[in-house]
Amino acid sequence: MMVSAQARHVVSGTIRDRQSGETLIGASVMLIEVRYATVVSNSYGFYSISAVPGRYTLVVSFSGYTSDSIALDLAKDTSISITLDAGSRQLQEAVVTAGRNNNVTKPLMGVQKLSISEIKDLPVLFGEKDILKTLQLLPGVQSAGDGNSGFFVRGGNTDQNLILLDEATVYNPSHLLGFFSTFNSDAIKDVTLYKGATPAEYGGRLSSVLDVKMNDGNNKEFHASGGIGLISSRLNIEGPIEKDKSSFIVSARRTYADVFLKLSKDSSTNQNSLYFYDINAKANIRVGAKDHIYFSGYFGKDNLGFGNTFGIDYGNVTGTLRWNHIFNSRLFSNTSLIYSKYNYDIRINSGNNNIGITSYIKDLHFKEDMQYYANSNNKMNFGIDVIDHTTSPGVISASETSSFNPLHLQDKHALESSAYFSHDLSLSSRLSINYGLRATTFTIMGPGDFYTYDKDGNAVDTASYAGGKIVKNYFNLEPRFSTSYKLTGSSSVKLAYTRTTQNLHLLSNSTSANPTDVWIPSSNNVKPELADQVSAGYYRNFHENQYELSSEFYYRDLKNQIDYKNGAQLIANENVESQVVFGKGRAYGWELFFKKRYGKFNGWVSYTLSRTERQFSEINNGSYFPANQDRTHNLSIVGIYKAGRKWTFSADFTYYSGNAVTWPSGKYEVNGQIAFLYSQRNTYRMPAYHRLDVGATLQGKKTKKFDSNWNFSIYNLYGRENPYSITFEQDPDNPSRTRALQYALFRWVPSVTYNFKF
Amino acid sequence: MRLILLILVPMCLCSCKKEVNLNLDNAGPHIVIQGEITDAAGPYMVKINQSVSFKSENTFPAVSGASIKISDNEGHTDSLTESSPGVYITHSLQGKPGNTYTMTVKVLDSLYTAASTMPFPVNFDSITFRETGAFGNKNIRAVPNYQDPPGIKNYYLFNEYVNGLLQTNDIFVFDDRLSDGKYITRDLRTTDETMHEGDSLEVQMYCIDEPIFNYFNQLDESGGGGGAFNAAASPANPVSNISNGALGYFSAHTLRWARTKVHIE
Repeated sequence: MMVSAQARHVVSGTIRDRQSGETLIGASVMLIEVRYATVVSNSYGFYSISAVPGRYTLVVSFSGYTSDSIALDLAKDTSISITLDAGSRQLQEAVVTAGRNNNVTKPLMGVQKLSISEIKDLPVLFGEKDILKTLQLLPGVQSAGDGNSGFFVRGGNTDQNLILLDEATVYNPSHLLGFFSTFNSDAIKDVTLYKGATPAEYGGRLSSVLDVKMNDGNNKEFHASGGIGLISSRLNIEGPIEKDKSSFIVSARRTYADVFLKLSKDSSTNQNSLYFYDINAKANIRVGAKDHIYFSGYFGKDNLGFGNTFGIDYGNVTGTLRWNHIFNSRLFSNTSLIYSKYNYDIRINSGNNNIGITSYIKDLHFKEDMQYYANSNNKMNFGIDVIDHTTSPGVISASETSSFNPLHLQDKHALESSAYFSHDLSLSSRLSINYGLRATTFTIMGPGDFYTYDKDGNAVDTASYAGGKIVKNYFNLEPRFSTSYKLTGSSSVKLAYTRTTQNLHLLSNSTSANPTDVWIPSSNNVKPELADQVSAGYYRNFHENQYELSSEFYYRDLKNQIDYKNGAQLIANENVESQVVFGKGRAYGWELFFKKRYGKFNGWVSYTLSRTERQFSEINNGSYFPANQDRTHNLSIVGIYKAGRKWTFSADFTYYSGNAVTWPSGKYEVNGQIAFLYSQRNTYRMPAYHRLDVGATLQGKKTKKFDSNWNFSIYNLYGRENPYSITFEQDPDNPSRTRALQYALFRWVPSVTYNFKF
Repeated sequence: MRLILLILVPMCLCSCKKEVNLNLDNAGPHIVIQGEITDAAGPYMVKINQSVSFKSENTFPAVSGASIKISDNEGHTDSLTESSPGVYITHSLQGKPGNTYTMTVKVLDSLYTAASTMPFPVNFDSITFRETGAFGNKNIRAVPNYQDPPGIKNYYLFNEYVNGLLQTNDIFVFDDRLSDGKYITRDLRTTDETMHEGDSLEVQMYCIDEPIFNYFNQLDESGGGGGAFNAAASPANPVSNISNGALGYFSAHTLRWARTKVHIE
């Protein structure tokens, strides 16, 4: 490090797609003359790299794009904006491919990135491309059930995933009771999943962070694209507002399963509604060389109705206003104002019972993030984050003639304030570390009544607080640390420790996502959930980074975990906190991932061996028991084959061990009815799940003006009846016996989608 | 769960239901005690049976030779006698609203105790009917009509007898947590079609105490009623008001009923 005394100069700028002007997130930038000077473009495509004066070659590479190199005489701070061509030509030089081994060299662990092109080629249920379902094919990520977009990460519950869309929290990431995700893949630019070893800038959930970023829109020319499928159609329009300076994009889709219901002659069928739609919109404008403003929004709505007797609609709304400012070539800032809301609205008309039930959770969020590129081995992130949470647990409106009283449960207010700092540091050409700290204060605010409960859940004391008064503060420090040590040029070992906390908790008493599940904030009764995770892994790339192998172990310790009491009343209950019990958990496992990244044939194999347990003093005599999502083996095999210009074939195979379930160990009679006798929680296993899907894409004639393709797929090709649920009942045909019934949902579901772009 | 199936069945090309053979443990015989005191005339009954394995027939061995006493808070005690195997009856006791009843059962060297307080009765005005249905499943449901007394907690359990037969597929328990003081017309939601126009129907209304409401509410969620999709994510045995790990319940409740022919207005 003899040169360290010499003044360094900075090269900085933005990396974009040459054709569309979209910024590229996570592109590698390196100076090949400096041995370990590699940086990665940030969420807004910005990079900054520094070196002592001299002549250099700046190489920029990004998956799915042709790499570019620029000769550079570095004599002063220099700004270079770079554009890359989409489509990867065969890579010639080893130095160029060197930029593609960030998975090996960077200390970040447990990160999975999905490229949208991979998502588009894979077969899925009903032909509806879905980032959440594709994520479930990666190690450490488990599906919440057949065809379901809900997911578990390393033994966490579904509510322990922080799901962000342009920084806004998405509280309910699914449509139609979990069978579709809220993310329209047309609108998505980048998907990154952090499985626990989360960087310090993220906080608020225990288990994972799914950071989804929307496209900015083409700032060169107008385009429209879309798709027509069996169950939904999509349309996407984008273009410049002012060429090269500003652009917009609007993506919308709607399902029309209910159109088929309307065809039915039966009035109890054709009066039902069943659809969702969602709209993603974004606009951005560059103001001078140093400022960039973005506005993005999401609006989604599900509507389910049975005749005029029952209806529910629900959905998320998010809005993000962002201002990027480049203070100087080393200091990048982003300021965000974020709004997020999830609500549901139930209407019941039954005779003279007219009832409405509504509930929502709403966030107002201010966020300031700064990135300081001290030099190419040395980067700092720091910022603050303030969220004002309001939850309305339930408002019941009821007509005078109804059997129910109107009720307005108290709104709950809380302020979640965080500050963080993290430091990326290369200590030598082999050793890199990232350490950081996040400090979070969760402040429960009045107005409201706060109850204290006895052992049986009866309120024994009430404390009333006026508006703005502080009821309770929870302060938590969350250290984050990760390190990588390069063994060779293409292999490394990494180690990480992360603490995370969670102050919003989802109460759900069913196996699948319900639109009516309630979020409750930490309170005088409900303590923040805590998780500590240690992970270690080995990473290796082969064959000029064509193949990627990783193997990670993790152990996670969970505190203040929540379960509900038997028979808990979760809907519209002022004393809902008396219905829950608190315990702890542990999860550990081994993940193996092998991927072929480039070429005509690519794909991956992912395998997870894991165990997930919980412990509650009220359940199974206080001993550890397997959590519902505990699955020993999880295997996914994915292959995509490009057979020439016209056809692309794909297939994926999934196998996992059965969930832990509670089944009867006997039966008895109560009040003339057969009741089942349960011995212990979750001692039985569902049968193993496996499925093969195949797909094919036929590329139409591609011209400059028009591009189209047909996408065909079959979900569950060999028609395995994977049990969705197993229930027990008295046999209606023979009341002297009981039987177990297995329900399977999807067998041989074919679908076809036509996609176009002009 | 029920909602999901209702939506998915028409949506999917194939939704398959089949009986499966599972290798279920046998937890061994457990004592099941069911005792009831009502405000109608006695005698009242306590039944003791044993649980059986899931694969056995639905016949539950009677437990004979128990010594059972029920006393109230006015100083009356009744010793029950076994009228038929596993069925024990009272002789002198008369149930009265507001009284607390204590049951002690000595059987097979174990002692079980339970207490229940009989709530005050609520008038059962009438039964009406409501026709509901979605996706081709038309269903007639009975609607009990009654005035919930304001200012106090009330818990109700209903039994349906269609053409004299007790319907055992569903459990109907209501509380007044969200409906205190209202005139109640909530329908008795059945999983399947249980009655047709012209059937004779008797509905019994019990006013039960809170532990018994909790018991039946939890039993309903544990899939005990046999209703296929009431099942909670992790079913468990309902918390009984009987001590010492016995299954079942001991309930002191009022009994009112209404009878009519099933009809749609």
